[in-house]
Parts: sequence; C-alpha cells; structure tokens
Amino acid sequence: MPTIQGSDVHKVVVACEAGMGSSVLLVSQLRQRLKGTGVEVDHAPVRGIPPDADVIVVNRGLEATARSVAPDTVVVPFAMFRGDPAFDRLVKAIKEGATLEG
Amino acid sequence: MSMALPVPVPVATGGWRARVQRFGGFLAGMVIPNIGAILAWGLLTAFVIPTGWTPNAKLAQMVGPLITFLLPILIGYTGGYLVYGQRGAVVGAIGTAGVAVGSSVPQFIGAMIMGPLGGLVIKEFDNRTQEHVPTGFEMLVNNFSAGIIGAGLAILAFWAIGPAVEHASTALGHAVNFLINHTLLPLVSIIVEPAKVLFLNNAINHGVLAPLGVAKAAKHGKAIEFMIESNPGPGLGLLTAYWFFGPRSIRPSAPGAIIIQFFGGIHEVYFPYVLMRPILIVGMIAGGMAGVLTFLVTHAGLVATPSPGSIFAYLAETPKGGYFGVLAGVAVGAIVSFLVNSFLLKLTSREDEAVEEEVARAETAPASAPAPAPATA
Repeated sequence: MPTIQGSDVHKVVVACEAGMGSSVLLVSQLRQRLKGTGVEVDHAPVRGIPPDADVIVVNRGLEATARSVAPDTVVVPFAMFRGDPAFDRLVKAIKEGATLEG
Repeated sequence: MSMALPVPVPVATGGWRARVQRFGGFLAGMVIPNIGAILAWGLLTAFVIPTGWTPNAKLAQMVGPLITFLLPILIGYTGGYLVYGQRGAVVGAIGTAGVAVGSSVPQFIGAMIMGPLGGLVIKEFDNRTQEHVPTGFEMLVNNFSAGIIGAGLAILAFWAIGPAVEHASTALGHAVNFLINHTLLPLVSIIVEPAKVLFLNNAINHGVLAPLGVAKAAKHGKAIEFMIESNPGPGLGLLTAYWFFGPRSIRPSAPGAIIIQFFGGIHEVYFPYVLMRPILIVGMIAGGMAGVLTFLVTHAGLVATPSPGSIFAYLAETPKGGYFGVLAGVAVGAIVSFLVNSFLLKLTSREDEAVEEEVARAETAPASAPAPAPATA
C-alpha cells in the first residue's frame, strides 16, 4: 500500500467518472477546508488522473479503477458526498502532517 | 453541520460491474464533455423550429447540421482523444465524418465506434513506425499518416460501419417504441434504478438513452428517453424520506443533499443513502416507474438530454406547451418515492438503531486505530 506524509502532499485530485460532476462539488468543499495550507485541489476523470497527484480522492464505486490507473498513489475512498469521515481524516493528516495510507 | 455514519457500502470492486462500468464510463466520457453542444442544439431547436417559441426558418437551417455533423464529430473527436490525445482525436473525427455523411439518423453510436477506433489505429501505426522514421521526416510522416489513415477510415465508415449502425439504431429505436406504445416503458426502471445507484448512471444515460433520445428528438422535437434516468423526482422523495424518517444521525445531512441533488442535479449524492439500506431500491424503482408512467401518459418529453439532472435543466429543456407532463412526472416520481421509502425506512428502523448503537460503542471504545474525527464540515 502506498503511503505519504501529510506534509508532502501538494496536490489532491478528486476523481469521478467524467471529472466534471460530483468531483467538482467536492473540490470546492475541500479547497475551503485546505485554505492556507498551499495544497492544490483539482478534479479529473478517473481515467485521466494527472501523474502529479499526491493523493486521489474517489468514491468507493470507482476505487478499483482509480487504483489501477495510479497504483503508486495514495487513494482515499469515500462513501458519502457530505460529511464523510474520510475527508476529515485527509484534512487532518495534511494539516497535522500525519501519514496517509491507502 | 452534516453528519454521516461510516456505513459499509456493499460495492463489489471487481467482476462484471467493474467491467460494465469501465465500458459505460468510457462511452459517457465521450459524451459528457460535449453536453454544452448538445444543449446548444436542443435550445436552438426549441426556439426556432416551426412549433417552437420563436419560429425562424432561416435559423432553423442550423438544426440539421448541428445534430447530424457537429455533435457526432465532437463525440468522435473526444473518443479519439481519450485513446490517443490530439492525434487520436483528429483521426477519430475524420472517421466519424464518414458515418455522419449520408446517414438518416444522428450517428452518436457510430461516433462512439469511429472515434476510439481512429485513435487506436493511429496509435498502433505510430508505435510500429516511430523508430524507423528518418530524422527530419517526422512531420511529413505524422501528417500524412493521419491524413491517409483518416481518409481510409472515413471510407470504411461510410460504406460499412455507418449503414450497420443505422440498422442497429433503428432496431433499438423500434424496441423502445414498442415499449412506449404498449405502456411498458416504466418496466425499464426496474433495470435503470438499481444500475443507477451502482454508479452506472452515466453509462446508461449518456451511453444508451441519450443516443436514442437524440434520434427521436431530431424527428419529433422532444423525447421521453431523456427523462428515464435523469428524473430528479425519485431522488428528492428518497432524501425527503430520510429527512423525516431516517436514522436520527443521518437526518441533518438530508436537506443539503436535496439541494445538491434536486437543484444541482448531482444525483450521486443520494446513491449512498440507498446503498446503506439496500431495500430502499424498491422505493426508487417505484418512484422511477411512476415518473416514467406519468411522462408516458402525458406525452411529455425534453428537447435535449438534461445534464446534470436538475429541476432547472428540466424546466429549461421543456418544449413549448409541455410543462404539465414534465412537472407532473417529476412530482409523481417524488411523491411515490417518498411514500414507499418512508414506509420502508420505518419498517427497518429497529435494525438501524442497533447499527447506531454498535457504531457508538465502537467510537467510544479505546480504539486501536484513531477514531474518525467528528464531521464538522
């Protein structure tokens, strides 16, 4: 399983099927919560995840695809689009420099 | 403000679903980036055709070329791009022109074949020849290979693939018409609603229903095919049921989800609410069927594919004089989904109290792993 230190995260990519629907919704939420950390948050189609992504945030339904596209990148899967604990873990890890795994 | 249980979502990560999703997702990936163009065509049609809001014979000349050429070629271009970047896109677009010319149906499906095929062929050609091209001849070889392969593919598409797809599209269209004429169309919801919450929504709507709908809308100015998967009513009913009768810890998240789903058109936000209580799929099917039936008996249709499936997209794409059926179908879908899902939530509420207790216990227990922080988003 790939791991990364929260402090080494420079770019978080939220992926969904087309890269322009549900992922965009999460980008604005995450950007707000990561304001001031200097971490870039972007969205992309799951088959077009850019190679410079440090962490990939993706719905569990597309988790397998994301892992096959970027096997060496940490994938943070979530279930709920609002208030999923996965987002809290991610934000916390980035802000406090903890290790992210997955 | 929103809270959610860390609910295990029973989603298989491999197998047929992953394959269908990969394939369907690829189809949707060709269509979704071009929805702006589909909307332009739909809106223009709604205004300028003889039965539209502001009939204008001169502007109406654009309607045909937009649907026959622009939309398929954009889809083919995008399909080629997905396979092999800009070069794939160009060859895919040339090939798509071959299916579009001389066809009597909008060649969306033909474009979904020719675009990726063009990308694949030129990719394969490049892989085999790249090393053997003498220095200084790269541009010459690149341009002429794309041109020659593109022209060849366009001829193949014109003679073989176009006619084959035309037959297949016509047969599919007849099958859908059979369902419509015999009032069997609501049965489609039995497949569509479960597939939707398994995140096959885009595959179904943009991969299958939109091409069929576009063919019909090009002829009749509106199509019910656009409304089968995208009706925002059933999702609204489900989320409202959760708001009033769901597990207490989840209720506060429902209103926000309603805004995103019903007004924003991002249906994905309601899928987890179904997956955490799978029996609710029955309510979704009931709501979906009731909505489709209402659309059917009121002869409702939209002028283009509503994407995202927001109530605003529905209102914007309703043809002149069609508001009653469109709004009725959304409302009936919402009400039926609300009633059935509320009943099912009540019926299964004992179970989830146990789940909530279990979660509470797990969270208060001295956990070996760090407990998830409380959601404060």
